[in-house]
Amino acid sequence: MATHQQTQPPSDFPPSPPHENSSISEAANEVQQGSETAKLESVFKNSEPIREDQIQNAIKFLSHPRVRGSPVIHRRSFLERKGLTKEEIDEAFRRVPDPPPSPQTTVTSQEAVSNVQPQGQMQAMQPAPPPVVMIPPPSLLSRFRWYHALLAVGVLAASGAGTAVFVKRSLIPRLKSWVRKIMSEEESDPLEKADAKPGLAEEAVAAAKAASAAASDVARVSQEMMKAKSEERKNFEELMQLLGVQVQEMKSLSNNIRYLERNSNNLPKVYSANQEVYSGLAKTPAERRPYANGSNVDYDTRSARSTSPPAPPADSSQPPHPKSYMDIMSMIQRGEKPSNIREINDMPPNPNQQLPNPRIAPKAKPWDYGQPPQDESSNGPWWQQKNPRSADFGYETTTARSIGIRNETSTTEPAAIQKQRSWVPPQPPPVVMPEAAEAIRRPKPQAKIDQEVVAAASDDQPGVSDELQKVTKFSESGGDGSGRLEITEIQEESQHQHIGQEGN
Amino acid sequence: MPMFKAPFNGYSVKFSPFYESRLAVATAQNFGILGNGRIHVLELSPGGPGVTESIAFDTADAVYDVCWSESHDSVLIAAIGDGSVKIYDTALPPPSNPIRSFQEHAREVHSVDYNPTRRDSFLTASWDDTMKLWAMDRPASIRTFKEHAYCVYQAVWNPKHGDIFASASGDCTLRIWDVREPGSTMIIPAHDFEILSCDWNKYDDCVLATSSVDKTIKVWDVRSYRAPLAVLNGHGYAVRKVKFSPHRRNLIASCSYDMTVCLWDYMVEDALVGRYDHHTEFAVGIDMSVLVEGLMASTGWDELVYVWQQGMDPRAS
Repeated sequence: MATHQQTQPPSDFPPSPPHENSSISEAANEVQQGSETAKLESVFKNSEPIREDQIQNAIKFLSHPRVRGSPVIHRRSFLERKGLTKEEIDEAFRRVPDPPPSPQTTVTSQEAVSNVQPQGQMQAMQPAPPPVVMIPPPSLLSRFRWYHALLAVGVLAASGAGTAVFVKRSLIPRLKSWVRKIMSEEESDPLEKADAKPGLAEEAVAAAKAASAAASDVARVSQEMMKAKSEERKNFEELMQLLGVQVQEMKSLSNNIRYLERNSNNLPKVYSANQEVYSGLAKTPAERRPYANGSNVDYDTRSARSTSPPAPPADSSQPPHPKSYMDIMSMIQRGEKPSNIREINDMPPNPNQQLPNPRIAPKAKPWDYGQPPQDESSNGPWWQQKNPRSADFGYETTTARSIGIRNETSTTEPAAIQKQRSWVPPQPPPVVMPEAAEAIRRPKPQAKIDQEVVAAASDDQPGVSDELQKVTKFSESGGDGSGRLEITEIQEESQHQHIGQEGN
Repeated sequence: MPMFKAPFNGYSVKFSPFYESRLAVATAQNFGILGNGRIHVLELSPGGPGVTESIAFDTADAVYDVCWSESHDSVLIAAIGDGSVKIYDTALPPPSNPIRSFQEHAREVHSVDYNPTRRDSFLTASWDDTMKLWAMDRPASIRTFKEHAYCVYQAVWNPKHGDIFASASGDCTLRIWDVREPGSTMIIPAHDFEILSCDWNKYDDCVLATSSVDKTIKVWDVRSYRAPLAVLNGHGYAVRKVKFSPHRRNLIASCSYDMTVCLWDYMVEDALVGRYDHHTEFAVGIDMSVLVEGLMASTGWDELVYVWQQGMDPRAS
């Protein structure tokens, strides 16, 4: 989009923070490539304005209670997958009121400003009637007064009833006996006094008996409940066992089917990967090597990740893994180590070993010329020689020659096969003098450089010869690496145009 | 036969940017689950079609990726399953190798890519959700890029701009980065499932392709990244690697767990222009030579490495 580039403000041009090694190269790059390319580099940045609707969606997502309990990296990753830019994600995070630092702070966040959220969470959190002693926070008193009042009334009524019963049971007999005592004081019979006490004691005993009877009742009932529960559990376990057996059978069945499919020739194959299972198997970050790099903790999270990915595709069958792969996987899962592993010491024998001197100067890439190269004639070793009809990429060849065992294209490309029967690709011509071919190919770049150096004196362009000398100096000195490489890079490129064109 | 049989399962193959007939292969024992690894350096024999090994390096853990240095012709860099990044000099014998080993990543290093324009630095992408920027002569990484929420499967430099790179991750996003900026400059939610690979168009520096577990390859333009330029369907299983041709503007090569290597032209209505089904197990590595137009190599879990010219049958002798 041409307009895209034109609207770039000039201040977008790099570089504000210079890369450590490349400040010189950047200056050189800017000078060399000009402002056009510098404008192009800012194409690699998002320059769209921030979209408010996306931010609103993100805020709704981030405010969801479930999302608040998830790690921040997951939230960011989800928003990125939805196509939000970094700026939009940052803005959404900024706008969401309480970004809790950890999931456990949901309780303290209730004391926040808004009333709506605390109410919902309070009601969810509060168990059935709170103890009488609890004092609600004063800010909530106003909302809960009616509720609290009802509870208080209920509790009072219960306590009143309890008191009444207690009074009736124990206090009134005591009162009665006291009255009797007073009345019988004239008789002053000690026996009557004693009567009252056994009376009270009997009452107490009776009450105790009743209590114990009630307790035993309760105990019996709870015991029965426990029995029932254990029976239920037994049934459940039986059920699980049966299910497990069924699962085993189904697994073996599917294995058989898979095996049959692999060996069958003519079934049209409509494979598609089950992303969940596949990503766990083929990539194997979860199952790989239980003792790698002390990252055991990672394996739990990895396996958790690989088993809870985004929704799998509708048609789910995993790519058929080689049988030996499955064998090795099961070995690893059992904890065994395959026997063919050797102990190898692959540490550098001399960590200060010098980097070698490069013997060849770097070659220009075909795309540095700006246009794709022209087709060349097929001369030289076998790997250079092309099918004269290589523009078609010769898919007919392959489909015709393969015996058709796994040839899913044969049914869809009958035209290609018919074409194949009428035209046979010519055999590549044999190389008459292989040594000559090799000699032509290999030492040319080096020889060319030497030749050019010799010819430098008589060269018309002193500038080119200077570059040549720089290039040869560089390759001879063994490449200090960074600094000189950048400086000479641009000159090298123009230099290599000469070499490259002649070399091809 | 232009084919090489390795003792271990193949993971990645890369042509040398200096020598037309040279390529490196990363392999891992036991499918990379648990075991040793080996790096093979192969030569294409000039006399007749054939691939021979010139040198091999053993590693204690699986080698997931390998890349050649763009500044030193004999140096290659390996991404190892124990989280280390090792540098090898193929001009030295195996007992003198590796010449460097950097242990910084916390988990498996899944990819390594050398900067083709600056030629002084390389990037590694790891399952520890980060990428690191390195230079060969420095003992420690220069920068760590930590933003992805899941494993980073690949990081690839832009072929024209030496400071820009892209990363493909299991968190389903593709991110564009600039090493001069503190964080990513673009986040593209490219797929609904894990993105296993990405690569830049060599002739259009704003276009890149991503491949995913959802069996598709999508081609994106960073200037209008809300919708892809093209969605390439045709693979039967997850697409493990995608590569833009160094010689043709619109040509993409891909390899997949459906054991095929496919060629696509994303500007054409019927995008699939070639399919090779020479592998008998998952095809996981693919490369197209920068020096020889049309030369391709692929490797897979069937322990085979094929090198062939587009249009030929990889299995033909």
